[in-house]
Amino acid sequence: MPKYAMVINQRRCVACMACVVACKKENEVPPGQFRTRVIENTEGTFPLLRMELRSELCNHCDNPPCVYNCPTGASYKADNGMVLLKHNRCVGCKSCVAACPYDARYINEEKGYADKCTFCDHRVKEGKEPACVATCLGKSRVFGDLEDPKSPVSVALRENHAEVLLKSAGTKPRVYYVKKFSKPE
Amino acid sequence: MEITVTGANAITSPHLHVWDWRVSLYLFLGGLSAGLAIMTSILHVRKGGNLAKGDRAAVSAALWTPVILSVGMLFIFLDLERKLNVFWFYLTVQPLSPMSWGSWGLLVFYPVCILFALAAFPAEKRKKLAFRQLIELSEMLSRYKLHLAAANFGMGIFIGIYTGVLLSSFVARPLWNSAILPVLFLTSAMSAGAAFMIMIASQKKVKLFFTKVDIWLVLAEMVLLPLFFYGQYTSSGANRESIMPFFTFNHEYFWYGLAMLLLLVVLPIALVMKFLEVNEDHGEELSHEALMKMNLSALLVLAGGLIIRFSFVYAGQLSHLS
Amino acid sequence: MTKSISRRSFLKISGTTTVGLTVAATLPDKFLLWAEEQGMIKATYTPTLCEICFWKCGVMAKTLNGRVVKLEGNPNHPGARGKLCGRGNGGAGLLYDPDRLKTPMIRTGERGDGKYRKASWDEALNYVAEKLTRIKQQHGPEAVALFTHGTPTDHFLPLLSAFGSPNVGMPSFAQCRGPRDVGLELTFGEGSGSPERVDLINSKVAVLIGSHLGENMHNSQVQDYTEAIGKGVKFIVVDPRYSIAAGKAHAWLPIRPATDLALLLAWINVIISEGLYDREYLQKYADGFGELAAAVKEYTPEWAEKETDIPAAQIVETARLMGKNAPNVCIHPGRHAAWYGDDAQRSRAMGILTALLGSWGRPGGMYLATTASFPKGESKPFPDTKAALNLGPYPFAGAEGVTQAIRTATIEAKPYPVKAWIVTGTNLMKSVPNQKETLEAIGKLDLLVAVDVMPFDTVMLADVILPECSYLERHDALAVGKGKSLTVSLRQPVVPPKFDSKPGWWIAKELGKRLGLAEYFPWETYEDKIKKQCQGWGVNYEELKKLGTITIPDTDNPYITPANQPTFKTASGKIELYSKELKEKGFDPVPRYTRHPVPGPGEFRLVYGRSGVHTFSRTTNNPELNELFPENAVWLNAAKAKEMGIADGSYVVLENQDGVKSNKVRVKVTERIRQDCVYLVHGFGSTSKELHKAYRKGADDQQLITRYAVDPICGGTGMRVNFVRLKKEGSNA
Repeated sequence: MPKYAMVINQRRCVACMACVVACKKENEVPPGQFRTRVIENTEGTFPLLRMELRSELCNHCDNPPCVYNCPTGASYKADNGMVLLKHNRCVGCKSCVAACPYDARYINEEKGYADKCTFCDHRVKEGKEPACVATCLGKSRVFGDLEDPKSPVSVALRENHAEVLLKSAGTKPRVYYVKKFSKPE
Repeated sequence: MEITVTGANAITSPHLHVWDWRVSLYLFLGGLSAGLAIMTSILHVRKGGNLAKGDRAAVSAALWTPVILSVGMLFIFLDLERKLNVFWFYLTVQPLSPMSWGSWGLLVFYPVCILFALAAFPAEKRKKLAFRQLIELSEMLSRYKLHLAAANFGMGIFIGIYTGVLLSSFVARPLWNSAILPVLFLTSAMSAGAAFMIMIASQKKVKLFFTKVDIWLVLAEMVLLPLFFYGQYTSSGANRESIMPFFTFNHEYFWYGLAMLLLLVVLPIALVMKFLEVNEDHGEELSHEALMKMNLSALLVLAGGLIIRFSFVYAGQLSHLS
Repeated sequence: MTKSISRRSFLKISGTTTVGLTVAATLPDKFLLWAEEQGMIKATYTPTLCEICFWKCGVMAKTLNGRVVKLEGNPNHPGARGKLCGRGNGGAGLLYDPDRLKTPMIRTGERGDGKYRKASWDEALNYVAEKLTRIKQQHGPEAVALFTHGTPTDHFLPLLSAFGSPNVGMPSFAQCRGPRDVGLELTFGEGSGSPERVDLINSKVAVLIGSHLGENMHNSQVQDYTEAIGKGVKFIVVDPRYSIAAGKAHAWLPIRPATDLALLLAWINVIISEGLYDREYLQKYADGFGELAAAVKEYTPEWAEKETDIPAAQIVETARLMGKNAPNVCIHPGRHAAWYGDDAQRSRAMGILTALLGSWGRPGGMYLATTASFPKGESKPFPDTKAALNLGPYPFAGAEGVTQAIRTATIEAKPYPVKAWIVTGTNLMKSVPNQKETLEAIGKLDLLVAVDVMPFDTVMLADVILPECSYLERHDALAVGKGKSLTVSLRQPVVPPKFDSKPGWWIAKELGKRLGLAEYFPWETYEDKIKKQCQGWGVNYEELKKLGTITIPDTDNPYITPANQPTFKTASGKIELYSKELKEKGFDPVPRYTRHPVPGPGEFRLVYGRSGVHTFSRTTNNPELNELFPENAVWLNAAKAKEMGIADGSYVVLENQDGVKSNKVRVKVTERIRQDCVYLVHGFGSTSKELHKAYRKGADDQQLITRYAVDPICGGTGMRVNFVRLKKEGSNA
C-alpha cells in the first residue's frame, strides 16, 4: 500500500497563492473558506531581516486526533495514509475541528459537514498530483509515496533535514518541511 | 515577528470558535442532571431508604433528572451542523471517541433514570402514576430499587465525568488538556446536583444532609480549581499561556477575568453559608429566612458551575499549541 | 480520466444525460463535480491562452457541461509548463463575475455620472461609426487615437491603421517597459523580449534591481527563478523593500530610492578598475570601452555609498561576485522601468553591465532569441497617414507610442486636434499619471469609446461602452513566441460568450464594416483567418486546437557559438558601450548620474508594486482573487510608525505634495521597508460603483501620482517621484 506524504521546500515558495486558488477550484471550497494557506513570517529589525514562507494544510497525521475523536466514524485514516472524510456520516459536531492542532479543518458553510484537504485523493487515484502540487510554480510542494525510494518525497527527505509542525503534539504528521528559511544558511 | 496569513478560515482564526453557549449550557445541564442522579441514588439508599421517606424530592428528584437532561440535550442538538444526521451517532461505536461513549451513555442513561424513578416511587404515592401498567411496573421495579439506584449512580458518574474526559482529550487545546479537568467537572456536577437537591427537598433533614454533602464537594472544587491552574502554569509554554485569559484583567479578556473573580467570591461565600446553615440551631422547622439562605447558597453553587462551564469552553478555544 | 467507456456506463450515461443535460445546464459546479466523480458526465479540456496578465500562459480549461470548473496550465506552453499562477487559476472568477459588462451601453448623463442606457449592438456600433466618420471628415482620421493593451490590440490597431490614423498609445511603453527596451536597444540593438530572455536556470549569480520577481507573477520566469533558488544561484537584490526575492537573496541591498544609477555606475567602475570584465568578448563584440572607462572613473564605491546608502564594501563585494562568475551572471533588465525620468539611461547602465560581464548570448545571462520566424502573410496595405503625434518630441520613442503625448495633444489641440479616443483593454485612469490631465483631455473629446470586459474606472467615463467577452469566450490572434524556440499558440473559446458580449475581433470587424473598411477584414470569422494563417505557416490547425501550443523543432539557438554569432542591430553593428546615437541627439552617451529630489521631513516617497494574486487594477473585483487580497495596505517602517504613533492595522489617509488625498487605507507597520518611503500594491481604490467588490477598497496609488518625471529620450513617465504624508484616521474601520 502506498504511504502518501508531502514535502514542502519552503525556500522555493514565493507565496504566489496559486496553490490556495487551485485547491479551491479543484475541490469546490465555498467562498471565504480554505483548505490550505500560506504564512509569511519576517523576523528581525531593518535591515537585518529573515523571512520564512510556509504553506500549511492538513498533515494527514499517522496519529490523527481528528479521527479518534470523531463520534460517527466519518473521519477515517485510509490505507494509503490519507485522512479522509465520509461526508454522509458527518453530524457536524465539530469535535474534529477542535481536535486538530493545525487548524486544518473547517465546517463547509454550504453543506454543514466538516471538511479539509484530502490530498486530492480523487486525482491521486487517476495518477495525477494534488491540485496544489500540480500548479505550484516554485515546485515547492512535492508529493509522492514514501514506500517508493525514488519518489520525489523520498528523495527530498533523504537529501534534506526535515521538520514537522508541532512535533511535540505527537500527531506524527505526513507533511514535512525542508529548507525553512528563505535565505540559505 | 511579522506574520501575514493568507487563506485562514474564520472558524479557526484568530482562534477556534466552534462551540458556544449551547455547548456550555449542555455541559452545565448534563452535569447537573448527572449530579442529581447521583444524589437521588444516595437519597434513596441512605439509612435504608429512611432519608427519603416523606420527602417531596423522593419523587421529584428522579423525575427532574431526565427533564434537565433533555433540556441540555436539546441545546447540544442545536449545536450540530447536520442535525438530520444525528442518527449516525447510534449506528456505530467509536471506541476512541469520548463523544461516541457519551452519545451511547446518554442513550442508556434515560431508561436507567426513568426506571429508577419508577422503582423509587413511594408506595403511597403510586396511585399518582395514573396508568395501571405504570403502577404495576413501579411495583415490580421497587424490588430492584437498590440495583437501579446503583445503576443510576454509575450512570451519573459516567455522564458527569465523560464531558470532562472529552475536552481533556484534545492535545490541540492546551487549556482543556489536563487530567484534573474530568475530576473537576464531576465534582462540579455532583455539587450542582446536591445544591439542586437542597432546593427541591421538602424536609429539613434532607436539606441539611445534602448541605453537608455539598460542603465537602465545594471544598473539593476549591482545591481542584487551584490545582488545575497550578498544573497548567507549571506545564509547557502553551499550557501556561492558556490560563492567561483568566488572570489578565484587561479589556480583551474582561469576561474571563470576571469569571475568575466571581469564582473566587461565589464558592467561598457558598461554603461559608452552608457551614453556618449546618451549624445553626434551626429548631423543628426551617425558618423562612433559613430557607432563603439555603436556596441562595444553592443558587451560588449552581452559578459557580455555570461560570466554570462557560468560561472553560470559551477560554479553551482561545488556547492553541502553536 | 479514462478514455474508453464500458458498455454499462455508456447505457447509464446515455440514459441519464438526455434528461440530465437539459437540467444540468443550469446546475452549479458542486453538483457537476459530484456527477463527474460518479461517472455520469465527462469533463472536456480545451486548450486556450490566459489573459489575466500579459504572459499569456497556455491554459487547459476544464468544463463540465458548459461550465468552466477549473483552469490548469498547458504543459505544451513554454510560458506555463503545465502550471498556472493564482490569477490564472482564478480566471473563471472573471468569466462568472456578476459585475461584468453585459450589453452595449450609451451614456445618458454627463461623463463620469455613471448613467447609461442599454443599446443594441447595431445602435451602438452605428453611433460610434457615425461619430468617427464625422470626425474624419471634419478633422481627418488622425484625430482618432487608440489606447490599447493586450490582445484587443490585435483587432483594434489594424482598425485604426485602416482608418488612417497613426496615433496609437500603449501604456505598456511610456508607463512601463518603454525606457527599459529603449536603453537596451541603444546598447544591443534590441530589447530583452517579453518574456525577458533571462537564462536564470544557468546563472551562477543574478541581479534583481527593483524587480520583485516572485511577487510579480511571471509564470515561467518565476519557475526559472525558483529553480535557480533550488540550485543555489546567488541573487543580489537591490530594493528599498524586503521583498520575497530579497528574503531569498544572497545579498539584499536596501538602496535609497532614486539612486540605482549610482550603484550601477559604481559596479561598472569596480568591474573595470579590477579587470573583472570579459576582455575577449568586448574586443570582439563591443565598441566604446575606452570612453566608458573614462566616464565612470568618478563613480567610485565610496562616492556611491554616500548616494545610495549602501556600504562601499558591499558594493565592491557584490561587484566582485559578479565579476568572478562572469559570464554566467544575469543582470535582470527589470520590466516596469518608468521610475525617475532618467530610466532609459539606467537601462543603458544595466545593459552596459551585462555587456562587460560578457553575458549577452551566454549561458546564465541573456540568451539569444530564436531567429526563426513565420512567413509574413499577405494583407491589404494600410493607407498613408498624416504625421503621427503619438511619439511626442521624444527621439527614441517606440512604435507603441507615448500615451501622454497623445493626451497633451488632445488637451492643447496641437499639432492638430484629437477628437476621439478608443480605449481597449486598458484602464487609463489607473495607468497614466496625473488623473487630472486625463480627465481634462477626455473633456475635449467628441467621442470616447471603451471596449472592455469589466466596468473599470475608465470604462465608466466613456460615451459608448462595448462589452468584450472574456478570454475564455473568444478567439484572438495566434500568439507567436520567440523565446528560446519558435512557438505558436492558439486562443479559442471555451464557452460561448455570456450575455450580449462579443469578441474583440467581431467588434472591430463590425465597426470596420460600418466605416467602409470591410476589405481589411476579409474573413467571416476570426477562426477563418487563423486557419488561413496556419496554412501559410505550415502549422496543422487541428493539432494546434488539441495541443494549444506547437513548438517548431530546431529553432533554438540561445548561446553564442562559433556557428551562431550574434547580430547587434545598432548603428555600428556592435554593442555600443558608448552610444553615438545618444550623443548625436544631445544626450549623455554614457549614463551620467544626477541626484533626484528626496522627500522632506514628514514626507515619504511613494513606491508601488504588485501582488502575486492581482494584475494591475484588472483583478481587484474577481471574487476568487479578491477574497485572498481584498484591499491594499500602505507599508510603513516600524521605527517611523512608532515615532508617529501609528499602530499596525489602523487607517490613514495619504496626501501627496499637490494636496491630493487618497481613500483611507490600512497601515502595515513593518521592518521590511526603509524609513524614507512607503509602499502600496498598485491597482486598488477603484472609483467605479459597478465594481461592487472593488469600489473604494484600499488606496489608489495612481491617484497620488500627480507628478511625473518625463524621460526626454523616450517619453517614459517616471512615477516614483511623488511624496506623501500620512494622516491618521479616527478609528479602525
